[in-house]
Amino acid sequence: MTGFVFRKLLRTLFTLFLVVTFVFFVLRLTGDPVSAMMPDDTDPAILDELRKQWGLDRPLGVQYLEYWFNLLQGDFGNAYRDGRPAIEIVAERVPATLKLTLTAFAFIVIAGFPLGIFAAVNRGTAIDRGIMTISVTGFSLPNFFLGILLIFLLSVTLRWLPAYGSDHWYNLIMPVITLGTAGAAVIARFVRSSMLEVLNAPYIRACRARGMTERAIIWTVALPNAAIPTITIMGFMVGTLIGGSIVTETVFAWPGIGRLLIDAVTARELAVVQTVVMITAASMVFANLAVDLLYLVIDPRRRYASGTGE
Amino acid sequence: MEGPAEKLKADYSTPLEISGLTVSLKTKAWKCAIVEDVSLRVRSGEILGLVGESGSGKTVTCLAALGLLGPAWQTEGEIRLARTRITDAASASQLVSVRGREAAMIFQDASASLNPIEKVGKQLTKTVARLRGVSTGEAREIALDLLRRVEMPDPEERFHSYPFQLSGGQNQRVMIAVALAGRPELLFADEPTTALDVTVQSQILDLIKSLRDETKMGVVFVTHDLGVVKEVCDSVAVLYAGRIVESGSVERIMNAPRHPYTLGLIESMPTLSGHVPEGIEGQVPAPDKRPQGCAFAPRCDKAQERCRTQLPLGARSDGGDSVACFFPLEGNLGRTERPELSSHSRPADGPSTDALLSLKDAACDYDTRRGKFRAVSGITLSLNEGDRLAVIGESGSGKSTIGKLMLGIEPTSEGTATFMGNPVPILGTSDHIAFARSVQLVPQNPFLSLDPRATIGSQIEEPLEIHGIGTRQERRARRCELLESAGLSLDLATRYPHEISGGQCQRAVIARALALRPKVLICDEATASLDVSVQARIIELLRELHRMHDLSIVFITHDLRLARSLCSHVAVMRSGQLVELGETSPMFEAPEHPYTSQLLASMPDVEVADSRTMETMQ
Ligand SMILES: Nc1ncnc2c1ncn2[C@@H]1O[C@H](COP(=O)(O)OP(=O)(O)O)[C@@H](O)[C@H]1O
Ligand code: SF4
Ligand SMILES: [Mg+2]
Repeated sequence: MTGFVFRKLLRTLFTLFLVVTFVFFVLRLTGDPVSAMMPDDTDPAILDELRKQWGLDRPLGVQYLEYWFNLLQGDFGNAYRDGRPAIEIVAERVPATLKLTLTAFAFIVIAGFPLGIFAAVNRGTAIDRGIMTISVTGFSLPNFFLGILLIFLLSVTLRWLPAYGSDHWYNLIMPVITLGTAGAAVIARFVRSSMLEVLNAPYIRACRARGMTERAIIWTVALPNAAIPTITIMGFMVGTLIGGSIVTETVFAWPGIGRLLIDAVTARELAVVQTVVMITAASMVFANLAVDLLYLVIDPRRRYASGTGE
Repeated sequence: MEGPAEKLKADYSTPLEISGLTVSLKTKAWKCAIVEDVSLRVRSGEILGLVGESGSGKTVTCLAALGLLGPAWQTEGEIRLARTRITDAASASQLVSVRGREAAMIFQDASASLNPIEKVGKQLTKTVARLRGVSTGEAREIALDLLRRVEMPDPEERFHSYPFQLSGGQNQRVMIAVALAGRPELLFADEPTTALDVTVQSQILDLIKSLRDETKMGVVFVTHDLGVVKEVCDSVAVLYAGRIVESGSVERIMNAPRHPYTLGLIESMPTLSGHVPEGIEGQVPAPDKRPQGCAFAPRCDKAQERCRTQLPLGARSDGGDSVACFFPLEGNLGRTERPELSSHSRPADGPSTDALLSLKDAACDYDTRRGKFRAVSGITLSLNEGDRLAVIGESGSGKSTIGKLMLGIEPTSEGTATFMGNPVPILGTSDHIAFARSVQLVPQNPFLSLDPRATIGSQIEEPLEIHGIGTRQERRARRCELLESAGLSLDLATRYPHEISGGQCQRAVIARALALRPKVLICDEATASLDVSVQARIIELLRELHRMHDLSIVFITHDLRLARSLCSHVAVMRSGQLVELGETSPMFEAPEHPYTSQLLASMPDVEVADSRTMETMQ
């Protein structure tokens, strides 16, 4: 078991290394922070002076090595403007994003699973078709469009919810629906087809033959079996949620790292951008690791196949 | 009016009574009867064999009796278990209270019939607790006890295994234990041993018999193998195209069948004493294409005008003898001896000068995730011109690997494979193309080896085209010749694989294999997916081809009876080793290796030859 986790962890770290390197070079090759910060008509001599001061005049390779050198000591660099440590700037924004994405994740599971199960159990009926139609719609609506639609409907027209703000629980409602609907739709479809496959399996018929009630079969036999393959999708979902949170936070002026990223890219705050990217990339690869480990925990066949059984 | 699933005065002496049962598949637009007018009775302690080829409605009948068919099905007639009447109108809760308690069911694929992610002990414990209403602790004890009763090896340890960690036979034992959990009065066993190796099959059959003796439960034993019927059943009901065509005691049916179909089935069974199976021409009609009148008429050589228009009175399986035929057969089964195929006797392992295909000390390794796996080793055998060599053994014993070595699909890891004095070229090399003209494979599943989008005719011609043989006209002529020699009518040439039956597909595969006039045909379980009546006709075809074209055959099979009916020599494989090799009749009469005797003793046979019983007793 430990050997397996260790190999996975090594691969995870390697992925992170690639992400950091990629972001470092792309950012520096696509524009520089000094010209982004100063007005267009600034004297070039001043710009050069600033560049020198921030160490941007040295060869890229040197900057890159220095970046790693600092990173390994826990130094993520400072913002150019106010000189605060980038990690600090990012850290203040993390709770808001966590709150948004975790709630959205819960929404996805709580809405997606029951809908999928319900559709599968009522296969081919109007209920099934209804759920699937909603799911296709939910999946094909772009994030930002759904967000604007919600604001228009719930804030502007009905005046039920404020369009902005993040202090109350009800401020979460619209962003979570915006962020989670597509995921819930995907999960519902996936759970449905997975359930249908399992419900046709010989062991379900055998359960019926020994007098288990349909309800017991669905919840204690079919669902656990059908849930196993959905874990992979849940892993992907973490990435989708993080990507989606950038748009959602911008639409709802949510003070999370998604919006911070947009601002930082515009201002060419390289250290901040890199820190955000690294944190999101880390959470995605660790989500993948968690998926792999979760498989081992709940699917005995994998546990034994990977030689990690008892 | 009687209410649905009303509780009856318990009749434990007759745990199953079905009368006039018709089961149909129904949609808005049409309705098609799958099972028609079936009447059966099973007494407690009786094992009733429900026999018939695939699609005859055996499984549907069992599922209907437990109310397990889905909403698309409609049942008419009466089904009565020990205490309960089952009807379409029975509520879900009524059915649930019957299943497992009054009647239980076991299935063909036991490994797929258990929840794959739950330990077998836990599944068993839960079922015991639910059906007997006892605490989990008590249920655990009972569950362990049940595992002991089904003779599970190391029950305490197996209790904590998942289904994928157990063998097919062990999983079937678990399924039987689960079925016993609710102490049912009746057990439906739907081909419970069909997927198992013969030695395991014989253990499971013994187990079912002894549990029947112990619990006095009635058993409906579904099978297509009359050898198995002879082994376990007390009475038999023969199903053809959804109707019972004959029923009676097992002795009467096996010794003096009265329905032509029953006779055909018995004649289709190869036996260990060398009966050469005779098949039945034609095929079982699909449920929506059943002829009016007697459904067997198109295949029956006794059919008269009347048979085609009128329906013979249905047979009932209610203890007495009964047959649904206007012209039932009289008298006992008389066997017409058929000519033995020529066989020049010789030791099959000796260094023979005129060996066509031979393996010498051959071994074969497969690469697996855990390193190399040696599938067979130290194999020495040879095939001379005109030989028919059977390779027999249980699943995983290395039979197919021997075929692959002979075909050059796998290289030998040690030793040599030679064809006419030269090493067998490996698939993918240029030499292999020429070699493949002489040695051809007939695989198990004909549908998989035919291209679904090409006509049968063009596929038979294909090898000729690939090798650039003959002109267009000559190839056409050869195609007709091939179709004819494979026993296919010429108009099948324009059909696609899905438009013809499994037996016809296998004939087409054989015709294609013969296109290049090979010297050797390697048949890997070539008849295993076919019905017995069709299998018998393929065996007949192979015998004929051998006689007419002096074809040498390697016949890989798990069925010793087939080996006996077709082959001149037999190689017995066990765990990758060749344990016995020799001529068929002497070996079957006096096997030298204990494993061969064990295999022979396990093989269910419609004729229990006295000589064999004597052999195994000595
Ligand atoms: N779910 C189903 N849908 C449509 N046809 C079916 C279904 N199950 C069985 N049949 C048809 O019913 C007939 C009898 O099937 P079955 O009882 O399984 O036969 P057996 O068990 O004797 O092989 C076959 O022709 C089969 O094609
Ligand atoms: S009724 Fe006629 S066709 Fe049917 S089995 Fe008897 S003889 Fe043959
Ligand atoms: Mg069946």
